[in-house]
Amino acid sequence: MASDPLSPGASTPQTPTEKPSTPPVNILSSPISRVYSIIHPALLLALGATQFESVVANPTKGLLSTLPWFTLVQILYVIICLPPAGSTETTAPADGKSSSRSPGPASRHGKHGKRKQHVNSWTCIWSRLLPALLALALTFVLATPVLAALLVLFGAPLTTHNAETILGAAHMAVLSATALIYTHGLDRSVWNEVWGIARPADAVWGSALGTGLGAWFGAIPIPLDWDRPWQAFPITILTGAYIGYAVGSLAARTPILFGKRIVFAVEEVDDAEKKSN
Amino acid sequence: MGLRRCTTVIANLLIPVGILIFSSGFFPYKPLIPGLATLEADDVAPAIFDKVIFMVVDALRSDFVYSNHSGFQFTQSLIRSGAAVPFTAYASSPTVTMPRLKAITTGSVPSFLDVILNIAESDTSSTLAYQDTWLAQLKATGGRLVMYGDDTWLKLFPGMFDRADGTTSFFVSDFTEVDHNVTRHVSNELSQDDWSAFIMHYLGLDHIGHKAGPKSPFMVPKQQEMDGVVQEVYTAMQRQQHLQSTLLVLCGDHGMNEAGNHGGSSAGETSPALLFMSPKFETLGSRASPVEPSGDMVYYQRVEQADIAPTLAGLLGVPIPLNSLGVFIPDFLEMWSESSDQIRIQYQNAKQLLNTLTTTFPGSVFKPASIESCGKASSGMEGAQCAWAQVQHVLAGGPEGVAHSAAGPALSQFSRIAQAVMSRTASNYDVSRLGLGLLVTALAALFVLPTTVRECTRQKPPGLFLTMIVITYAIMMFASSYVEEEQQFWYWICSGWIFYLHIKSQSARPGHTRPSTMWPGAFSILLLAVCQRLLRRWNQTGQKFAAEPDIAHTFFGRHPEVFWLLLALTYLDAGFRLVRNARLPALARLGALAPAVLAFTFKLHFVASESPELLEGTFLSRVVGGWLYSVSLVLHARLVFGGLAAIALLALFGRKPSHSAQGRLASLIYCLPKSAMLIKTTATRESIHAALHVFLMTQSRATNVPLFLLFRVTARMIVAMNLTGFEVTITTLIFQYMTFFAFGGSNAISSVDLASAYNGVGSYNVALVGVLTFVSNWAGPIWWASQGHRLRSQSAHDASALLTFHVAMSMISVMAACTALRTHLFIWTVFSPKYLYSMAWALLNHAAINLLAEVLFSRSRHHIS
Repeated sequence: MASDPLSPGASTPQTPTEKPSTPPVNILSSPISRVYSIIHPALLLALGATQFESVVANPTKGLLSTLPWFTLVQILYVIICLPPAGSTETTAPADGKSSSRSPGPASRHGKHGKRKQHVNSWTCIWSRLLPALLALALTFVLATPVLAALLVLFGAPLTTHNAETILGAAHMAVLSATALIYTHGLDRSVWNEVWGIARPADAVWGSALGTGLGAWFGAIPIPLDWDRPWQAFPITILTGAYIGYAVGSLAARTPILFGKRIVFAVEEVDDAEKKSN
Repeated sequence: MGLRRCTTVIANLLIPVGILIFSSGFFPYKPLIPGLATLEADDVAPAIFDKVIFMVVDALRSDFVYSNHSGFQFTQSLIRSGAAVPFTAYASSPTVTMPRLKAITTGSVPSFLDVILNIAESDTSSTLAYQDTWLAQLKATGGRLVMYGDDTWLKLFPGMFDRADGTTSFFVSDFTEVDHNVTRHVSNELSQDDWSAFIMHYLGLDHIGHKAGPKSPFMVPKQQEMDGVVQEVYTAMQRQQHLQSTLLVLCGDHGMNEAGNHGGSSAGETSPALLFMSPKFETLGSRASPVEPSGDMVYYQRVEQADIAPTLAGLLGVPIPLNSLGVFIPDFLEMWSESSDQIRIQYQNAKQLLNTLTTTFPGSVFKPASIESCGKASSGMEGAQCAWAQVQHVLAGGPEGVAHSAAGPALSQFSRIAQAVMSRTASNYDVSRLGLGLLVTALAALFVLPTTVRECTRQKPPGLFLTMIVITYAIMMFASSYVEEEQQFWYWICSGWIFYLHIKSQSARPGHTRPSTMWPGAFSILLLAVCQRLLRRWNQTGQKFAAEPDIAHTFFGRHPEVFWLLLALTYLDAGFRLVRNARLPALARLGALAPAVLAFTFKLHFVASESPELLEGTFLSRVVGGWLYSVSLVLHARLVFGGLAAIALLALFGRKPSHSAQGRLASLIYCLPKSAMLIKTTATRESIHAALHVFLMTQSRATNVPLFLLFRVTARMIVAMNLTGFEVTITTLIFQYMTFFAFGGSNAISSVDLASAYNGVGSYNVALVGVLTFVSNWAGPIWWASQGHRLRSQSAHDASALLTFHVAMSMISVMAACTALRTHLFIWTVFSPKYLYSMAWALLNHAAINLLAEVLFSRSRHHIS
């Protein structure tokens, strides 16, 4: 797996000529947010590990009963750690932290100032809970069917295991879509970037992409003839998705990857090819 | 550029060489001596028996007869009285019936090729009709042979038996009828005195094993039933005058493991029981029974299964089969009172082994050299030479007057060494050749490595993807379940590649995507993904999920109308393309429709005669009347092929505005280079593609034909994506492998589809049937190979180096896996078939299809100069 085509090695950093798009999302700057944002992936994996056996024993029931818990943890995470859609905090800390990396777009977005940054009242909590609940609703109503369709396109059974597919898609949607909707709302340009896998790397997008890639790699053990119950359809894929989520979420906020996007430099290659031939 | 061409050519020459060397080490060549052995007057020892009753109980493991829990009560009493001489006969892997019967009757050690023949049982190539066996020897002395039971015997020995009733072992769930079908003949045959060999082969015990394992409650009653047959035969041998000197042999062809299956090399599978029974043996002394095993499943003395042939030959007074590697079992030497007769038996055996030895190793010298010069070698060729010198020394004056105590050990010594040497050549691998084959193939890969690396670094993302394919494929070849489920790998890779194409098509757009330009792109990628998803569910293949529902069998079985609609659409599309691309004047173009119509009616004809269940209840069953059958299938197929060939030839040499009559003449004279050049014109190419399309459809299973429509849609989507040449190469590569499996192919020999192998072939013709078989199994890959150039119309790109690199790398992986896992339990059932398939991929699909397409269709710089 040393050569995953989507690895950052294959990508080129955002080119300055590109039009400014919604910049990468930073974790909120409060200490609780920062600490919890690190703990959260580990917590999620630990929760998954404790529930693994019950899911293996009865995938449908296990996935259904664990879904509320994962959803709750995920909601807590977005409320504690992420700026909701439309808030100006999206870019505020970037000014101080990563100015050396992406000075252009970040500074332009910082015009509203930092007036909400340290307000910590019930209004603030409420101002985050509402978008979180909205994001949750959209996760189940929109993202889950889309992910279920993608799962089927990537090989999930269509005529059987429908409950498993839907539940698996719901888990993946909670992992990937909730945070995306919470931070970006229904911003069309962002969702175009998501569809084109062209978002700049940040904790939100990294975890979403990690979820998908992890699920893809999770299919590997299924054909083995070990006859283990955990080789049943959604289990390895969801395990991969959870691990991918944790890895993507943590990796995408490291300075090496943060703000970079997957872009295949196609035109240059074409030129080179024509010249050499 | 010239250098790159050159390295590619060298690499492609090296790959077949590597495969050849590896194969010679992996499938050892064992020369067969033709003809029947004859006895020299000097060798004759008087026969002890004149008839043999050979009773095979399929999968009769040693403990079924010898242990405390056995149902063979009567047989055990015979062991105690001495009338039955018990052995455990070692059956080497592959422990399946056909190779084991070969070992029992010829005395040789069958090779892997016999396993293939066992599965692909083509009735002519696997017979023993022209080989020397103890059956042929008995037949040659004028005896009659009768056979009841497993019809493998009838396939192995066509025309050998005077009376026979074969039972097919197809219905494994049948425990009683298969055996009743044998037993009902026994009493009748025992009363006849015209046969010299009476063969029974009982299948019920094996069926019980497959169904419920060796501890099944049916097992002991079945053993008691078999014991009853032994008792009936033995009692007749005692009572009836004409059976006075008859030998009864009871044996299993192989054993079974604790799950009740066989084929591998575990102790249970390789340890069948073997008993020689006759009242005459009571003089040899008695043995205890039941007993505890002395080793894993080993009861009493262990002999080789191959020893049965020379022992039977000796006891019956016939020559030992020429290719036997067996050694006469010394326990029976005491049946002859004269020591010279005992020496004769062993000497005959030794001479026959020497003959096989010198045939296999023509260079070796067996001279009566002085024993002093002979070191201490006690094994290998040198040991055999020494032992033979010893034999010559002792027997210098012939067998008369030599004490057996002097000659016997020398003869035994030589026979055992010769057997060991020969068995090793038959079943062991020549590791140095395996290594050399690997090395040569690695050299081939090395030759195209620079070009590949350059391509990959020039286009990093697809280059990394190709690297990932090569590396993961190499790892996968070492896991038996991934080899069995290889289709999952390609489906998985394909979904990943489509994901890559999606990202690429998105990021290729400059700046932000507007919805208006985005949706057609999204639509095409979604359609591509849907096509890919349909493809992978078309045929279930492999082992693990083979029984799951799929489209070709389950869905079309339930909805034949949908199938016929899709089939008709596919032919309509193909016919339309034929007409549009035919190189004919306007009205005559309609003539190009004829092959398409013929091809469609041929498919209808074929389905009506081969799988009529697809026609039942559809409107077609009413439309299709007797008119279809007015033409024979063979002629019908020939008409289709002829029509398609005419279109292809017209495309190559037909009237073209740009070419004068002189040009046509020239193109006929310089046929090969000129035609290669001519193919470069797009119209010609399209026309040939259209004809090939219909040809491939004709060679595919009817339920797979709609896949070609899916291919057309997929190809159109890929063209719309405007890929680079390198990406097109990877795309076609992935689709080649993926469609091979989507058509129902797998890495098991049993999945070779022979249904269309005889289209248009009147009589058996190896070359024609071979080509048709290849085309019908590789129809998908061939289609995609021919598409590479249509998809790659934009940029000039030499795919052959990349394809060569990939094929060399996959060949290396499979060879390395076969070398490293050559003692693995699944080497014969999983890895060797995979190697055979890889050979077909490398030699046929790569060299004959991909490279040929590259050469014929390449639009390189020497464009019509």
